[in-house]
Amino acid sequence: MLLIPIGILVIAALVGLSKAKIVLKIVSTLSAIASVTMIYIGILGLRTTLEFKCNLFNSPSLFMSLNWLVFRVDSLSAFFLLILGILSLCASVYGIKYMEKYFEKEDMRVYTFNYPIFLLTMYLVLICWDLLWFIIFWELMSLFSQFLVAFEQSEEKAVKAAFKYFCMTKAGAEFLVLAVVLIILKATNFNANYSEITSILPAYLLAHPGMLYALTFALLIGFGVKAAMVPFHSWLPDAHPEAPSNVSALLSGIMIKLPIYMLLRFFLSFFPLKPEIGIVIAVFGVLTLFFSMMYALLQEDSKRLLAFSSIDNIGYILLPMGAGIYFLANGNQLFGSIALAAVLFHTMNHAFFKGLLFLTAGSVMYETGTRDLNYLGSLAKKMPLTTFAALIGSLAIAGMPPLNGFVSKWMIYISTLSSPATSLFGIIAIFISAVTLGAFVKYFTAIFTKPAVKEIDAKEVPVLMSAPQLLLALLCIAFGIYPFIPLKMISQALGSIGVPLASLVVYPSLVVPKTGSYSPIVIFAFLLVSTLIALLLIPSRGSVVSTWKTGRSEDLNASMSADAYYRDFREAFNEVYVLGDASKGFVQKVAKIGKMFGTKFEVLSYDLDSMLSLAMILIVILVAVLGGVSL
Amino acid sequence: MNTIFIAVNLAFALLIAPVVDGFERKIRARLQNRQGPPILQTWWDLIKLFKRPTIEPQDSVKSLYKLAPYVTFTAVLTAYLIVPTLLPSSINFIGDFIVVVYLLGLATLSFVIGAFSSGNAYAQIGSNREVSLFMSEELLLAFIIGTIAVIGKSLSFDQLFPLPLRISSALALILLFLVIYVASARLPFDIAEAEPEIIEGPLIEYSGKHLGLLEYSIFLKRLLLYSLLLNFILPVQNPTRLIGYLIGIMILSVVYSTFEAYYGRFRIDQAVKLMKKLSAVALVVWIIALVGW
Repeated sequence: MLLIPIGILVIAALVGLSKAKIVLKIVSTLSAIASVTMIYIGILGLRTTLEFKCNLFNSPSLFMSLNWLVFRVDSLSAFFLLILGILSLCASVYGIKYMEKYFEKEDMRVYTFNYPIFLLTMYLVLICWDLLWFIIFWELMSLFSQFLVAFEQSEEKAVKAAFKYFCMTKAGAEFLVLAVVLIILKATNFNANYSEITSILPAYLLAHPGMLYALTFALLIGFGVKAAMVPFHSWLPDAHPEAPSNVSALLSGIMIKLPIYMLLRFFLSFFPLKPEIGIVIAVFGVLTLFFSMMYALLQEDSKRLLAFSSIDNIGYILLPMGAGIYFLANGNQLFGSIALAAVLFHTMNHAFFKGLLFLTAGSVMYETGTRDLNYLGSLAKKMPLTTFAALIGSLAIAGMPPLNGFVSKWMIYISTLSSPATSLFGIIAIFISAVTLGAFVKYFTAIFTKPAVKEIDAKEVPVLMSAPQLLLALLCIAFGIYPFIPLKMISQALGSIGVPLASLVVYPSLVVPKTGSYSPIVIFAFLLVSTLIALLLIPSRGSVVSTWKTGRSEDLNASMSADAYYRDFREAFNEVYVLGDASKGFVQKVAKIGKMFGTKFEVLSYDLDSMLSLAMILIVILVAVLGGVSL
Repeated sequence: MNTIFIAVNLAFALLIAPVVDGFERKIRARLQNRQGPPILQTWWDLIKLFKRPTIEPQDSVKSLYKLAPYVTFTAVLTAYLIVPTLLPSSINFIGDFIVVVYLLGLATLSFVIGAFSSGNAYAQIGSNREVSLFMSEELLLAFIIGTIAVIGKSLSFDQLFPLPLRISSALALILLFLVIYVASARLPFDIAEAEPEIIEGPLIEYSGKHLGLLEYSIFLKRLLLYSLLLNFILPVQNPTRLIGYLIGIMILSVVYSTFEAYYGRFRIDQAVKLMKKLSAVALVVWIIALVGW
């Protein structure tokens, strides 16, 4: 069962090597079919644990756990598989028409070969059950997603962005390799199977706190780079806008969630729970959401705005993760489980609405060929379905009540706000939620309602592109009004990594002992019914007259450009930008110094003797590091 | 029983919100040495608006433009299910405070989206100011929510009404008093709707029933915020609550309209900076609450 998507995707990739035009359709269809099987596996995995084992080699080497290829889907991976499946289904179907735009300009094989492989590696990361195999699949995923970012090879910007992305994630991955090597050398006696690690590692790390902190440090950097946590985020706003829009949807929607999946595995089932680790993660989460959203407010490029907001949502995921670990470590089961449920719920929500928003940005690009918010405008009448989808996405991401974004944000607030240690995090999260609203009012109105600079020629996108958008919009609405279904899956997923969740499963959605329950149905039913009654009682039909133009007959030609939005707010909060720019300058300086050393090293390496001695020193340092952390 | 009481509360809000505005107009007039309109004048104005024909501007996105006033109105109305007014009964659950804040956010958002889709340049300027002000006032509000949550160790109104008497809770309520003033779109903070400079901004194209609904929702929002503040002070389940509530509404009206009568309008940047300064104060209040005073 677990092998079916692998088979389909490998076939798709092989087909994708051909140059024929029909290949795009075949590859997209095959990817869509594979996505459907992934959804099916996800649903199955929530019921029972699926497993596949296969003996590859028989060498008694250092890395003997590579001998066995073990795939296993427990509830946590099943939950992420569901998200991956739904999103990649939408992105694949969307790609059939969307990618046709590139037929003349680019070599399509870059897309048709790499796209299925990219899906495949994400799938493998989610189902593999061994740390060494995980590292292999993880690196492959970075590699193939990088090719997709650089799809438009004629654009220098895209190639540069892909290079930056690759360098940063590769550097991050080295920390992961180091951490994994440390774990299997020191603690688990060359065993990298997740089940064995779960049983051995927590006790070992409790006895060796130095090792625990070293590993935490390495993992936070390694996964932080991939998840675009704030000090390590700078690749994302360059890379995501440059990829084709359906790939951006996948990158933002699910790929940057895979580090979250692994962080959950590591910090909840492999590591002992420590409050200070939780607080560190939460602090990084708050920094991430604060700075990225303040910068999102500045953007004048539709996809770049969305990319910054993706970083922001990673903050909204890391914050409750840290808070949840903190609460669980302190014995507060209730808030801990709500916070961790918020992690998974927000992960799912963000995948849906950000996927949706990237697809709408793609539709706008498909019709108008631009992402410039200053130039775009008044597309609402020309593209009604896309407008509807974008409106739902914007409302959901701003956390407006009847939609899914609200439920997860609400869970974040109730778990964090009333405890002294995490209260400030919740406060900043509320503020940033309002800024998100501002940024997405800008995104929506600048593209769809503000008068355009000059008349833009556009029409509604074909069905194959609007259907995925509408499906995602529908999910945003359904999971907001009826959050019971995802919450039930979440409680199972959390159960599989050892978080007790008795309080999360009763309808309506979230019942917390003795304090009442969140009953969205009542509130939203009232909201909808009273709106309908108001519409019926107070009919709104009116006569159409021309818009008021200060009494003149010709057009005012006055329209606010995107860079004028919220100027006063930005000026008042200038300190944030000064601070952000200063740190950017600092990082650039560090990178420059690094480059200088690199050049020096290269010059040095022509000389064999000094190169060898340098290599020796480095090995000595490495050995010292590996040996020294056991303290 | 609870359902009936909530219905009574809703009816009270719908009936009284315009009267409160009429009362405030009277007070303002007296402070400025004018006779002033009768207290029911706001009701007559609304009824007149609902009778008038409605027009739609040509450049607008019709569906959004027409739907927005209804959503604004019902979002505010829905918040009355959670915040008790005349009678102390409401739907309560953990985190209902957040739901109220977000329902008011939804009202602002749909108001702004409706204005943006009217296609008028003045409406754009006005809504843009509205969002700027909303974002900065939300920073202050977030600190107040955090402080109140720390004091009451909960985010549920049935635990928070009334707040225990402490230095931090008094300070938090003073800040809430200020943020309510800012959120209720009056001088000096009616920057988005400034009549003399941008001709009522977001409201510029709205007419007839739509305009009536939007004005009605502003009045409802004011009464909702008054009730929220009073609930934090008044004792629950006490016969004096009803009298206290009515007197409280009157006091708040008098105080707020006195402010309004004596101030000129702020510029948007002044208002945003003021909110930022107040947030710094709120941070101190939050720390005081953490200490436990």
